[in-house]
Amino acid sequence: MTPETTPSAPATAVDSRPIAEPVPAAAARSRRRLPVLDVLVRFQSLLGLVLVLVGGLVFSPRRDGTILFLTVDNLANIVRAVSETGIIAVGMTFVIIAGGIDLSVGAVLGLAGVTAATLMVNHGWGSVAAIVAVLVAGLLFGLIQGAVSTVMRIQAFVVTLAGLQVANGLARMVSGDKFININYGHGAGLAPPSFALLGDRLFGNVIPVSAVVFVLVGAVASVVLNGTRFGQHVFAVGGNERAARLSGINVRRVKIITFGLCGLAAALSGVLDAGQLSFANPNSGTGYELAAIASVVIGGTSLFGGEGTVVGTIAGALLLGTLNNILQLNNVNADLQLIVTGLIIVAAAVLQNVAARRRAT
Amino acid sequence: MTGGGLAPATDHPADRRGEPAAVLEMTGIRKSFGGVHALRGIDFSVRPGEIHALLGENGAGKSTLMNIMCGALSDYHGQMRLEGRLVRFSSPHAAQKAGVATVFQELDLVPGLPVADNLSLGREPKRHLLFLDGQRMRRSAEGALALVGASISTRTTVSALRLGEQQIVAIAKALAAEARILILDEPTAALSAHEVELLFDLMRGLRRRGVGIVFISHRLDEVGKVADRVTVMRDGRVVAVVPGSTTPQELVPLLTGRLAEDMFPARGTVRDRVCLRMTDFGYRLRRPSASWREPTGVSLTVREGEIVGLVGLLGSGRTELLQAICGAAPPGRSLGKLEINGRPVRLRSIISGQQQGIGFVPDDRRRDGLVPTRNVAQNLALASLGRLSTAGFVRRGRQGEAVRWAFDAFGIKASTTTAPILSLSGGNQQKVLIGRALLRRPRVLLLDEPTRGVDVAAKADIYHLVRSLAADGLAVLVASSELPELAGWCDRLVVLRDGRIVDDVAPDTDPTRVLAAASGATHHDTAPEDRP
Repeated sequence: MTPETTPSAPATAVDSRPIAEPVPAAAARSRRRLPVLDVLVRFQSLLGLVLVLVGGLVFSPRRDGTILFLTVDNLANIVRAVSETGIIAVGMTFVIIAGGIDLSVGAVLGLAGVTAATLMVNHGWGSVAAIVAVLVAGLLFGLIQGAVSTVMRIQAFVVTLAGLQVANGLARMVSGDKFININYGHGAGLAPPSFALLGDRLFGNVIPVSAVVFVLVGAVASVVLNGTRFGQHVFAVGGNERAARLSGINVRRVKIITFGLCGLAAALSGVLDAGQLSFANPNSGTGYELAAIASVVIGGTSLFGGEGTVVGTIAGALLLGTLNNILQLNNVNADLQLIVTGLIIVAAAVLQNVAARRRAT
Repeated sequence: MTGGGLAPATDHPADRRGEPAAVLEMTGIRKSFGGVHALRGIDFSVRPGEIHALLGENGAGKSTLMNIMCGALSDYHGQMRLEGRLVRFSSPHAAQKAGVATVFQELDLVPGLPVADNLSLGREPKRHLLFLDGQRMRRSAEGALALVGASISTRTTVSALRLGEQQIVAIAKALAAEARILILDEPTAALSAHEVELLFDLMRGLRRRGVGIVFISHRLDEVGKVADRVTVMRDGRVVAVVPGSTTPQELVPLLTGRLAEDMFPARGTVRDRVCLRMTDFGYRLRRPSASWREPTGVSLTVREGEIVGLVGLLGSGRTELLQAICGAAPPGRSLGKLEINGRPVRLRSIISGQQQGIGFVPDDRRRDGLVPTRNVAQNLALASLGRLSTAGFVRRGRQGEAVRWAFDAFGIKASTTTAPILSLSGGNQQKVLIGRALLRRPRVLLLDEPTRGVDVAAKADIYHLVRSLAADGLAVLVASSELPELAGWCDRLVVLRDGRIVDDVAPDTDPTRVLAAASGATHHDTAPEDRP
């Protein structure tokens, strides 16, 4: 008999049988033993963020006595960079808690950006109309992916991988596979100046608009996830789909809506991206899906579904953004940045695993 | 490599002394989990060439004892000797190497691989250090299968085998090491009658070769057919060791023991009003399945205040009937008439069932009931969030009230209402699930195996709780595989066989008659055919 298969066999046998008495008692005992680890796991992303911030202060290069890391410009840069993946990550949090995954978000971001730009530049749409249209389109794109996945019973991974290709193809078609420059003004070929607001900073040129949007999105998402019936259903569907169905929850609908929300977030991110850069690039969001998933995982959301927090995700996104910023400030090359990011994801996943195993015993 | 340990019985030293010495001997085994005593001093032994049945209700401690024997639990008090040597297995792997093979209920086979590959999983013969030696693999697999007298092609994929055949492959795999003891955990639970006979033949064959077999089962009639000795456990103790010829009638009181009058609440008064009425009710699956017994021509009424018990063997369609009533059945269509409070209803989904006032508590808590990632309060409120919300927002106050009500009404024991659901005992988890259904204020409550994996005290709690709900006007339909439980608890017993109602009797009817009806008049005589 193999060492691999033998020990697992009794574990399943024991788990599947409802001798519930002994198991939880043992779990409760081990839970009492290491409270430090529990705190660490619970707040891993926030603690990690604090750690990275402190690291930023310590390792930041200085010029004329000012810590470059702490300058308004630098912090605004961090938040601006983080807000795009962060908003997507918030949408992704819903999908992942419900037990799914969405790989199409980066491509949807690109599609949303070029669509908004084209509508304004080539078709003379107002900025509000263009933004609303693109957001609705993003929502629909997500809903369709969710519907295909749940109704036709295809794994979300596959459906959204296909969705990634489709969205990217559409984005290239819409843009003619070129950057679309957004010049502001009134008249043909110009975008309404109001769109430029998205790239502005508010409150005395300090806080980027994208950061404000990010915070708003996070706040609304947090309330929806924790305070509403829908949010409770998302947790239940991801935690135990069969139990959710037997409790009278419309599992299919809940899942489809999470994909819709994620598509909406990606589209919003795309609009911000175009507004901040003043041009739209069909490939702008390439790789963002991985950054978003990384933020979610670092934020303590289980990829198995059923648990997670929006706050954790936001902290996870900030952690990754801040870390990259510090490495950049210190002229660490980009390759190393990738490696560090990878290691952090693994560390977060290991902590997760520890938490899950302690619950299961 | 295969079966070197299966020496002929005559070689065993025990025979030279006349009195067979135990090959496995456990003395004074104690084990507790937290404050719960699962085993309170167990003596248990298996002789070579003996089929020793281990009986006990759920929660009696059978599983814990088995887990100690097979090495899954190493943290216990007491002594275990294998062929006279003191042993303490650190893992199932270690137990297997020492000669204790176990076939768990969940077979440890890889369904997508051929039989041969499964039999040499993890110790595959290789050529040139890298490539699988398929020929050698198949030859050794054939040897292993010959040992258990099975004629199964080693090239067949496991998933293509019938369950009984898979079971035999799993036994062959377990025996591949030098096994002196074979533990079979409820091996017949999912087998057809014919497959059970084949399995028993295999067990008898192994007995002749001197293997000691621990046979864990729920079915009393089977025990008489194949076992030499029977150990009956209850509440973590051995209450009796009796010969295999003991009749089911004699075994029942040993098994249930405390399941006496004080365990059950007094029966209430059944009111006249019919809550649930089925007339020639049935259900046809869109895609018929052998493992889902379709209810057929079921006519049954449940009145306000009445608890009706569904009796039936495994595969009789108890669970399926409950699922069909509440809308939880797989896609298909229902036949005949189903009325709730006098109104005819057609249920298309669980949601419509709930809206008609049907509450359902499924049998498999872990799989279909609990949301392990949510706390106790969240699990309780799960089905009633609509009632507890305004405009989509869950009202904390209202939810808190509902949760407190459930805690008080059911005596749920948890450290706080926000404790992790899995930190509760099985009984309290079950109360949470019943509470979840009741928070929707159903008119009819369907319970499927409500006391499975629940300790005796919590069982009594559940009996009393449901009885008091019935007294308030609830109609209850409960399916259980434990006849004594239904007999003590219910106002009426309805016997199912092959998806049909075959009998409808008072709870104090002679159990033999009820069981005969359930198993289909050809009652097994327990005459042992080949006991030495």
